[in-house]
Amino acid sequence: MAVETIQLSITRYDPAVDQAPRQQTYEIPYQDDMVVLDALNWIKTHLDGSVNYRWSCRMGICGSCGMNVNGTPRLGCSVFLRDYLPGPVVVEPLPNFPVIRDLVIDMTSFMEKLASVKPWVISNDHAPALAAGEHRQTPAQVEQYRQFSMCINCMLCYAACPVIAIEPHFVGPAAIALARRYDLDSRDHAGEERLRTVTGSDAIWDCSFVGECSAVCPKGVDPAKAIQQTKFESTLGMLLPWGGFK
Amino acid sequence: MGRLQIAASDAHEGTRTYAPRLGGTWFLRSRGYIRYVLREFSAVPIAVWMLWFLVEIARLKDGPKGYHPHMSPAFVVFSIVCLAFALWHSYTFLSFSGLIMRIPIGDRFVPANFVRGGAYTLLLVVSVLIGWLLVWGGAR
Repeated sequence: MAVETIQLSITRYDPAVDQAPRQQTYEIPYQDDMVVLDALNWIKTHLDGSVNYRWSCRMGICGSCGMNVNGTPRLGCSVFLRDYLPGPVVVEPLPNFPVIRDLVIDMTSFMEKLASVKPWVISNDHAPALAAGEHRQTPAQVEQYRQFSMCINCMLCYAACPVIAIEPHFVGPAAIALARRYDLDSRDHAGEERLRTVTGSDAIWDCSFVGECSAVCPKGVDPAKAIQQTKFESTLGMLLPWGGFK
Repeated sequence: MGRLQIAASDAHEGTRTYAPRLGGTWFLRSRGYIRYVLREFSAVPIAVWMLWFLVEIARLKDGPKGYHPHMSPAFVVFSIVCLAFALWHSYTFLSFSGLIMRIPIGDRFVPANFVRGGAYTLLLVVSVLIGWLLVWGGAR
């Protein structure tokens, strides 16, 4: 017998009224190709316009619609209702972040952590001037950092990391993976500057290698690997007289 | 992301947010967390076994007569469990060595499988060497 409806239990939190978040259940018509974000949009359009959540591209690129679906951090646009039949599908805000309203979390701390690792190319005086044209890289040079450059800042890794919950100041998986991405970029020359940030307090040495950050990443980035590589190379840098490998 | 950042900052300044707390049973939320907690706590019995081993070594200062190894079935079972945990730790540690250790050779890096294989070989060689020393020493 074909499924005709499915229930969604959505976290509701109105800071003006509620002391704590609560769950509210909605029943919606089921379609086989419906993702959780489609279901939320259907609820907002047809049942309850007051439900709040972030979304933008609907194709797993912008990283806006991160939410906890049946206890696992997922992108709402990339997770099908059919994987949770017969339901209900429990949709909650991303854990480890303050909740502003319903499924909307406060990402201020994440943005500050991200900026702290300076995730952009920083050239030195010896780099070719812009007027000289493109700063070309070989495929091998691109391959060094390509995987870490796939991060879309969706914060699912922060939601999956219990260290973030215990140590809220921990710089966290995505920021360290992005620091690694620029450290491995042949055009960048700020590796030592970033290393001071990621090897300082509340950074790589807080990570106890739970590994869930990599497990939940929707883009196949491996932040746990980035963190362990940074641990290894910073240690080697201290031990080897010539300062380790770049 | 820039637009989202502004929206979040505005909301944060103007409204009260709810800060969730990590409950005592957080590790039951996923199989990955359970595996992690088991892995971390499995170090405790290994540490206990190692302490006992140090006590036995200290007793050797009085010669063979002072050495009284714990031979009860319960301790043998405990030792086997500790060995299994130690092998698990070795496996999790060494299986990642290929991904974590990037050793450059010119423009390339030593392949991950080679680093991993080398780590396992080294473990095997050292284990056999220590085993041989124990057997050889015990036979003298």
